[in-house]
Amino acid sequence: MSTLWLIPALPLAGALLNVLFGNLIGRWAHWIAVPALAGSFLASCAVFARVWDGGSFTSTLFAWIVAGDFETSVVAHVDQLTAVMLLVVTGVGALIHLYSAGYMHDDPGYARYFAYLNLFVFSMTMLVLAGDFLLLYVFWEAVGLCSYLLIGFWYTRPAAAQAGKKAFVVNRVGDFGFGLGVMWLWSALGTLEYRAVFKGVETLSPATATGIALLLFMGACGKSAQLPLHTWLPDAMEGPTPVSALIHAATMVTAGVYMVARSHALFERSGTALEVVAWVGAATAIFAATIGLVQTDIKRVLAYSTVSQLGYMFAAVGLGAYAAGIFHLVTHAFFKALLFLGAGSVIHGMGGEQDLRKMGGLAPRMVTTTITMTIGAAGLAGVPFLAGFFSKDEILAVAFHGQRVMWAILLLGAFLTAFYTFRLLFLAFFGAPRMSKDAAHHVHEAPAVMTLPLTVLAALTVVAGLAVGIPSEHGTPFARFLGPVFPVRGGEHSGFVAYMLVILSVVVVAAGITLAWFVYMSTPVRAEAVGRPRTPLHALLLNAYYVDRLYDAAVVRPLLALSGVLARAFDLGVIDGLVNGLGRAVVAGAVALRRLQTGYVVNYALTMLAGAVVVLAFLLSR
Amino acid sequence: MPTPDIVRALLLELGLAALLLLVFAANLGLRGADRRVVGWIATGGVLVLGFTSFLVAPAPAALGGMFVQDGLAIFAKRLFLGATLIGLLASLGEPEVAFARRAGEYHLLLLSSLLGMLVLASARDVILLFVAFELMSIPLYVLAGFLKRRDEAVEAALKFFLVGSVSSAVMAYGLSFVYGAARSTDLAKVAQAAASGQPLVTLGLLAAFAGFAFKIAAFPFHMWVPDTYEAASTPFVAWLSVAPKAAGFVALFRVYFEGAGERAAAWIPVAAGLATLTIVAGNLMALPQQNTKRLLAYSGIAHIGYMLVGFAAASASGVAMVLFYLVAYVFGNMGAFLVVEAVARTEGSESTAALRGLAQRSPLLALAMLLFLLSLGGVPFVAGFWAKLYVFWAAATVGLYWLVLLGAVLTVVALFYYLLVAKRMYIEPPERTGRVRLSPTLAAAVLLCVAGVLVLGVYPKPLVMAALRVAAPLF
Repeated sequence: MSTLWLIPALPLAGALLNVLFGNLIGRWAHWIAVPALAGSFLASCAVFARVWDGGSFTSTLFAWIVAGDFETSVVAHVDQLTAVMLLVVTGVGALIHLYSAGYMHDDPGYARYFAYLNLFVFSMTMLVLAGDFLLLYVFWEAVGLCSYLLIGFWYTRPAAAQAGKKAFVVNRVGDFGFGLGVMWLWSALGTLEYRAVFKGVETLSPATATGIALLLFMGACGKSAQLPLHTWLPDAMEGPTPVSALIHAATMVTAGVYMVARSHALFERSGTALEVVAWVGAATAIFAATIGLVQTDIKRVLAYSTVSQLGYMFAAVGLGAYAAGIFHLVTHAFFKALLFLGAGSVIHGMGGEQDLRKMGGLAPRMVTTTITMTIGAAGLAGVPFLAGFFSKDEILAVAFHGQRVMWAILLLGAFLTAFYTFRLLFLAFFGAPRMSKDAAHHVHEAPAVMTLPLTVLAALTVVAGLAVGIPSEHGTPFARFLGPVFPVRGGEHSGFVAYMLVILSVVVVAAGITLAWFVYMSTPVRAEAVGRPRTPLHALLLNAYYVDRLYDAAVVRPLLALSGVLARAFDLGVIDGLVNGLGRAVVAGAVALRRLQTGYVVNYALTMLAGAVVVLAFLLSR
Repeated sequence: MPTPDIVRALLLELGLAALLLLVFAANLGLRGADRRVVGWIATGGVLVLGFTSFLVAPAPAALGGMFVQDGLAIFAKRLFLGATLIGLLASLGEPEVAFARRAGEYHLLLLSSLLGMLVLASARDVILLFVAFELMSIPLYVLAGFLKRRDEAVEAALKFFLVGSVSSAVMAYGLSFVYGAARSTDLAKVAQAAASGQPLVTLGLLAAFAGFAFKIAAFPFHMWVPDTYEAASTPFVAWLSVAPKAAGFVALFRVYFEGAGERAAAWIPVAAGLATLTIVAGNLMALPQQNTKRLLAYSGIAHIGYMLVGFAAASASGVAMVLFYLVAYVFGNMGAFLVVEAVARTEGSESTAALRGLAQRSPLLALAMLLFLLSLGGVPFVAGFWAKLYVFWAAATVGLYWLVLLGAVLTVVALFYYLLVAKRMYIEPPERTGRVRLSPTLAAAVLLCVAGVLVLGVYPKPLVMAALRVAAPLF
């Protein structure tokens, strides 16, 4: 008996328990949610061991609808990619669950929070386990729902409710395309099962493959916050910070990257689609990084950074370096979750303050947070020998050999990344404190239940790259492990060019950090000078290129106007008129029929007789 | 000399007969006005028989081929026993004095009727079929008038008896034609005669159809239903609304489909026509009802129409889907009646108005009722959804698209009146405060129904497979 089913079943059971008995469980909710995740992680380890030697398998989790020949079963497909994703989702998920027990401690919706969080992990593991596109689509929507619920977790705050709605609606736009892509796939191949689809893509014309792949990618753009559907992710920071770490940094938003990597056969058949993926990724990487330069909210800096890093992953998979994209996904999950949780620790320690301008000088008061955050920032920036260094250089090397222009863009992005990351670090932890005396007095380090996950994630950020990311003639050990899923690429890491590339990227990163030092450390920072638009360019960046305003004017308002007209004129007049008319006709019929029930037994017998005669006459007349 | 073979085939019937004797003896032995112990004996016995029915395996035909213990029979018997268990559990806590004083009478009659059903499910002979049918029916007439001090109950029982006799007479008349033409009472021979197209056999079977239609309460043979349901005691009605109808359907399958092969298709127009009339009439007449029991009575007629849709498919999958529908209907319909009973016990009223604000008074009971209503209405992820989907699917595979369309449209009407009841529970304010108290046995019965509705709604597959398995050999 396989333990596979435990991976989704434990979080689901935890979610159900906390939903149904939340009132009774109350403050004890984490005693259900955290062990559920720990168990799920252990089961994932067992699954990982099963595919260690390169095998893969499918397993029916649940046979659901049966109607004659039509049968729908929940079938899991497990290979190396699945196993890696499962480990990330349940491992990072377990750490963040543990952290949440401290962070959400005083929240009145404690049980509800853990119920949603468990439900999310259930949906995410099912998304990863899915063996066909239909199931993928179902749980693609399910994680979206959980994201909506958790962004709007503090639903009494208008901003949170608004952000949840925005995330949902923007995701719908992408999912609309995703759904169409799945349907087109079905009508073109007659199956949605992964292996059959990827075997069958050869029979598709490149044009069809491009159409399907681009529609699927539309869904990925929504879920993974790529241009032009990126606007929801920064707003999603209204949710609790551990949620931002788990859903909007480490796991859910990477579902798009996973999906493209999973369907690489389809995207390769098209070719054009792969190019689109790469360019959208590169454009998003630089676009979001520039916005991240000027943000003043600690979580929004990290949010734009996430959008930017997701762009790197898409650039990698778009260039055909799937293993490199997935490797960056994994390392990013570690250091970005770490950064978010560290930011959460800061927010927690400062009593809810998120504004970088009101921080500064936190280091002596929050030692563990400062050290771990510094490791996380160094990992994100790409400081040598940390996880992000290996995974980002892998992508840069691929780009150098594939698309020089894209390489230049991504290299510039790396410079910006190093700058905004250390800007955040310097503004928050170093220099002179800029908060009020009273606030400074209350700053405190987080409890152990929160610093333990920080420490573990920091350790992972330090060792992950060294352990599996050192490139060789035959690719990285990580890529070799994923070999059964993605063909191993090699050759980009040899010789003089490779060394020069590494040195160049180290120089760029060092330049970014140094610039941040000069701007934010060498001279004392004045709070009012940060975040005030000084030049038109600065204003443009501060307002995130005015994309939100553009969407509001071009899409949201016209749609609202149109729906207002439809609601008043068409719906009330035509549709309701029809429905009410039908209803009246039905009621009139009912009143007429009711007269049949006279209460006289003679009439009853007579109707029966009449019925029998009619039936007889009908049959004999044929 | 009874051979072990006969014992094997008749195990459940023999067990039930022994239980009947036990109940009879216990009733004689008891003194005093409170004889509810008899009810416990009967309930326990049915529970044991219910478990036994899951150990019974198909056995070779007994009594010279008259009695078959095949998959269909065992499936049906489990259904009867399960429904009876729920019905008995619910009636155990009846506060009415008659149920304590005359418990022996009530349970003897009910178990006799159950014996009729068990035999009916296995009957492969016209005579045995008819006798079993009457054994099932006659106690029902008496039970309908069990509360003999209530004038309406007596009136309803009498009406039920009179029209029931007429239908039995028509059925016996039709079966006599069948015997005359087929020269045998063996249903296998009858099927051969019908397959050869003898008009007298067809005529006889058609007349018999009227009798069956009365028992399952298809339009226009349904008139007894609302009056009887309204007047008789609710736990009995809950049982009456499902078990005898299931028995009627099993008999229909035996007589009209088993061994008929291709000729089974001859019944499609009749069944489809009856289904149309029954769905339309049942749903429309349910609309204006203010008494919840009457509403459920008419909606139950509509459900029979939906089952006739599956019957009209005249195929193995059609039969299987009707069987699935019957099981879903047992849980949904009995559950709804039992909630009405629970409310009536505290409120003294069976009108839909008595359900006002139930969600505020007893949220769990209101939730249970909502689940039953949704199941009856055919909303996804409760049992009734699959039931409707499956019968529609079976009908669509034989090309009865118009019937499916009609059924689907009338489902909307049904949802309207079901949700009106839900609205009373959830939106309208309560007239009184305080919880609705349930006796533990009634609560257990409701809980069984909730479990059934939910489990079948989430995971219908095993039951569907079982139904397909037992239905396959009919054709």
